[in-house]
Amino acid sequence: MAAPVLELRGITKRFPGVLANDDVSFELQPGEVHALLGENGAGKSTLMNILYGLYKPDAGEIRLQGRPVAFSSARDAIQAGIGMVHQHFMLIPVMTVAENIVLGAEPKNGLMLDEGTAEKRVRELSQRFGLVVDPTALVSEITVGQEQRVEILKALYRGADVLILDEPTAVLTPQEAGELFEIIRSLRAAGKSIIFISHKLNEVLEIADRITVLRRGRKIETVPREGATEVSLARAMVGREVLLRVEKEPAKPGDVLLSVEDLHVRDDRDIEKVSGMSFEVRAGEIVGVAGVDGNGQTELIEAITGLRPIASGAVRVAGQDVTGSSARRMLDVGVGHIPEDRQRRGLVLEFSIAENIALHDYAEPPDAKWGWLFPSRLVERARGLIEEFDVRGGGPLTRAGGLSGGNQQKVVAAREIARDPKVLIAAQPTRGLDVGAIEYLHRRIVAERDKGRAILLVSLELDEILSLSDRILVVYEGRIVGEHEGEVSEHQIGLEMLGGKERSAA
Amino acid sequence: MTEWAQRLENPLSARLRDPATSGYAGIVLGVLAAFLGIPPVQARSVTWQVVVGVVAVVFGIWTVTRGRRRLGYGAAAAGLLGIGLGILATRSSVDNLNSVFNAALIAQTFAFATPLVFGAIAGIFSERSGVVNIGLEGMMLMGAFWGVYGADKGGNWSVGILVGAAVGGVMALVYAYFAIHLRSDQIVGGTAVNFLALGVTGYFFFQLYHGNYVPNGVSTIPNVRIPGVADSHFLGPAIGNLNLMIWAGFVAVVATWFLLFKTPIGLRIRACGEHPRAADTVGINVYAVRYGCVVLSGVLAAIGGVYLSDGFGGGTFTDNMTEGRGFIALAAMIFGNWRPAGAFGAALLFGFSSAVALRLQVYSPSASTLFNVLPYVLTLIAVAGVIGRTVAPAADGKPYRKQ
Amino acid sequence: MTEPDATAPPETPEEAAASGTLIASITLKQRAGGVIVPVMTALLAFLLGGVVVAATGHNPLLAYRDIFNGAGLNWIFHPTTDLTSTSAYNLSQTLLQTTTLILCGLAVAFAFRCGMFNIGGQGQYFIGLYVANWVGYDLASWNAVPHILLAVAAATVAGAAWAGIAGFLKAAVGAHEVISTIMLNWIAIWLGSWLFGDGGPLQNADNKAVPISNDVAASAQLPVFWGEKQLQGLDVGLFVALAALVVFWVILNRTTLGYEVRAVGFNPDAAAYGGISVKKNLIRAMAISGAFAGLAGALDMLGYLYHFGVSDIPASSVGFLGIAVALLGRNTAVGVGLGALLFGALLFGTTHGLTSGVIQPELAGNLTYMIQGLVVLFVGADVLILYVWNTRKRLRRTAPAEEVAA
Repeated sequence: MAAPVLELRGITKRFPGVLANDDVSFELQPGEVHALLGENGAGKSTLMNILYGLYKPDAGEIRLQGRPVAFSSARDAIQAGIGMVHQHFMLIPVMTVAENIVLGAEPKNGLMLDEGTAEKRVRELSQRFGLVVDPTALVSEITVGQEQRVEILKALYRGADVLILDEPTAVLTPQEAGELFEIIRSLRAAGKSIIFISHKLNEVLEIADRITVLRRGRKIETVPREGATEVSLARAMVGREVLLRVEKEPAKPGDVLLSVEDLHVRDDRDIEKVSGMSFEVRAGEIVGVAGVDGNGQTELIEAITGLRPIASGAVRVAGQDVTGSSARRMLDVGVGHIPEDRQRRGLVLEFSIAENIALHDYAEPPDAKWGWLFPSRLVERARGLIEEFDVRGGGPLTRAGGLSGGNQQKVVAAREIARDPKVLIAAQPTRGLDVGAIEYLHRRIVAERDKGRAILLVSLELDEILSLSDRILVVYEGRIVGEHEGEVSEHQIGLEMLGGKERSAA
Repeated sequence: MTEWAQRLENPLSARLRDPATSGYAGIVLGVLAAFLGIPPVQARSVTWQVVVGVVAVVFGIWTVTRGRRRLGYGAAAAGLLGIGLGILATRSSVDNLNSVFNAALIAQTFAFATPLVFGAIAGIFSERSGVVNIGLEGMMLMGAFWGVYGADKGGNWSVGILVGAAVGGVMALVYAYFAIHLRSDQIVGGTAVNFLALGVTGYFFFQLYHGNYVPNGVSTIPNVRIPGVADSHFLGPAIGNLNLMIWAGFVAVVATWFLLFKTPIGLRIRACGEHPRAADTVGINVYAVRYGCVVLSGVLAAIGGVYLSDGFGGGTFTDNMTEGRGFIALAAMIFGNWRPAGAFGAALLFGFSSAVALRLQVYSPSASTLFNVLPYVLTLIAVAGVIGRTVAPAADGKPYRKQ
Repeated sequence: MTEPDATAPPETPEEAAASGTLIASITLKQRAGGVIVPVMTALLAFLLGGVVVAATGHNPLLAYRDIFNGAGLNWIFHPTTDLTSTSAYNLSQTLLQTTTLILCGLAVAFAFRCGMFNIGGQGQYFIGLYVANWVGYDLASWNAVPHILLAVAAATVAGAAWAGIAGFLKAAVGAHEVISTIMLNWIAIWLGSWLFGDGGPLQNADNKAVPISNDVAASAQLPVFWGEKQLQGLDVGLFVALAALVVFWVILNRTTLGYEVRAVGFNPDAAAYGGISVKKNLIRAMAISGAFAGLAGALDMLGYLYHFGVSDIPASSVGFLGIAVALLGRNTAVGVGLGALLFGALLFGTTHGLTSGVIQPELAGNLTYMIQGLVVLFVGADVLILYVWNTRKRLRRTAPAEEVAA
């Protein structure tokens, strides 16, 4: 094997309370695509941010072309020929493509910015590597796939030999992802070395030459693509059998409690994100919504809960038409909602647990009467729920922001379930939680189903959908492209999530 | 496509049917209605003002019905305002009108506008780099006092400008440290700067000039007499003998535009104001850029202040001399949509209304107040989005935390 | 500790606060630093003010002693109700200023609790003054009680409406309340100079030569309970202001309205999710803020000013002092009360009350502005003071910073 272009040796990085990287070593050969595989929170991004000079490692060294280097900023990494395409693009919408690319390393004409040269160089680069994009267009006017190309061009413009792509397909459509893989191949052919960060097994197997698996901050193994399988990688990545089995009886569906009919919803930028979804959720069943992030799930939930206006279509709760109602009314007709981002939306972190539990009912007896609030009653109610839901780390007067993520989520769940909702919408209910909290919440969700609630589970974790749902809806680009009851393979759903079925249907 | 085809067939009538055109035409006519009553046209009957104003209102309503509501209401309001002001003008005597609206009004407009020009440019630098600068008023006030102090003790107005600019820069540096390094709230910090400047200037004004006035004979910033133009009948009083700082203000506007929009430095400054993380990841030192811009902002605002005391004011200082000009400059910056040319235009408009207000004082205190309050009302309307929409840099006011 | 997500390291509470709303960050730091932070903030401001005083050749200790006495705070050493005693008279005047500052502080604090920065307290105060003067001068034939109540109510509502404009603009089109309240301040200022100026509608009817308002009719003047009306005695407005502190606390902590306001202030997204109308609360909180400031104007006008002139307008800065009062008092009722007393004492003690030769009132008056500026500067950045505090604790027992802060 040739001398590695880049080596990381024994990298350790600690954040308060978390060991993000623990003695990780990694090497990159010239002209290879090396995948860094791991679950969310496995330490992939931290490792790359260290390599890119954004964090300083607590221990370990970085060697570039055999020489040890120390980067104290992104500028150092850039000068050393390392380029990074971040998960969230670092582009300025109000500037042109060319301006974004040359920013920080501008061609000059005397004192002036030489826009002609900038555009010419961008054109040259985009032709050489097959990255088609108009240098004079404003970034705000191009597609997400094009934005990613601009990011890659930014790195190439700075002479990057090593390219880090951080979860590059997360925001792409399958077509765009296919185009990206073509670009990666042409870059590899041109002698560039690429680090490809992902948690998607199929992608890694498609594009990588070698694969390094990280789990909980530690390196598990580095394997060549040949011989690696989804099963072997998954085991290394998760460290246990993939499916979390949840004990549950078969569902006994009752009346239709939530029905959505031909729903259309637009996002903040007025782009239609939900394009004609129709489905029903019955009492006593869990309906899982599977899909890649950004395929309309967020807008669907917000529309059902009254947080976002509905463009057209109808929403009924227990037969009652509640289309276009306010968030207040949706709560009143019996829709409970565990939101996908508990810190941004689910909790007022500065409020106490008691005040958070009252977030929906603060204005009704017994919490309040005629506009007068009774804090002691809030505390009383919270005390019971803290016990029932096993919230640890504080009492009713503890600030919600001081709790761990799992206990915060229990507070949210307690509030929503205690209101005795007919319909419970659980969005990403276990994201970022430890195993204990995940199991608790899963059991609880099944228990609420058995009490006769209609549960709509939206999750990006296919495992969670498969193990909890009685029925699965697969969404893709704002439409339902698949519906499954009973046994279904992960592979089948995965295919539909990427729009596979839609093409054949259309 | 069909719309384009129609335009090609009959470009003129299509253009006229465009609601935007009728809206802007209404606004222009509204302004015209007001101008008909004053020199040099000076229509003495109300007929023309009313006719033109009504046409403006009709254009406005037409525009509203065609969907451009904000523009339409703006045109209708301009028409009504034009009628009102036009009628007001006819009720004043010809002599009064002639003494209010003459060539010297142009010079006075520039004189009132110049502190605003410097202040607005100062604000643009700071905010384009992502730091809100509510403290313009205080920085300007510091420049006003220490500038005249420098000119007095240094014996020369140029020393005054240097001292004023330096003190303004130091004040801005303190603010920058709190706003950038300590990431304190920028509005709170800017408010603190205003209080601090008020206290410091007032304190040292009394401490250094016991009798509460600056002695006569301080070296003042000179006027620039343009040979040939100065003696011309109209241009002479208008621009023939303007203060040096007025011309410097014009230069500053052009230089700022060039720096911000035509040079690599400007690109980087704007990047820091729009998306500091993006700037950071390509190796731009966001803190350094923001420090530089805030300090430059302090220097420019202070120069505006020096002009106020040692140019416009003829080498004097009074407590709280800026009297809210820093806030009008802030308003001009917002009104001008954070662009040098726009801010310059707004500063001229606000300077004009101040100049008119001063001249109207004698004849009609009420009308004078109306012109004084105009900048604030217009800015309030602008932020309310009635006429167009102002858009601040995306990261304006958000402290940046390095990773 | 919160769970780390995939991309970012866990944040320390300070960092988490920096990304939240201003009120969320202030509240977090408040819990971290407790009462010590505002005290240190004030001390540091006085210390730096003292440095300036010393540098210009005055003895800062003596100067501060004289300001203390000038404010009548030495009254506590020999309390008396006899207003011929200088200390008692000075104290009564300090309390007169405190009355105004309590309400102006609440005007800032209430908006803060809803996540907004009301810089427009000054303008709302002026509107209250104007309306109280107008109603107080008209209706001179009325009985005292209805006349006073009507004048106070009208001024309070007017202040609420004036601030409500900014709240409405924010709710309707997202106009930043700082910009709109600044503009409304200046509009209110010019409105005053038009109303009371030459030929203005509220100019003194008897003397058209001076730009000054009419005097409030006797029936609308508030009763004075300490001192003589002619000598600017202390009126019952003080009790109204103290009651306002209680009302402020009750609204925020014992009503559903207050719950909504606080939820919107801390986290508008969560509030909307909880079924609370964010827009309604923005308008309502601004209006309540403005009501406090308008009430301040009413009490000043009916309590001891009785008339107002164009030249008085630029001299007044109580609305801006309210910002320092609220920030130093951490937007709490008790804090605002104490902050108002501090700045009330400074306001009177550095000007009319100051009789010593150590430092002239003209200097001392500006010293107040400096201290005010420094207080606001340091309060806005109490990361600085928190840092000092944490370092101290860390030295004492080697605990990690995030535990101290949490």
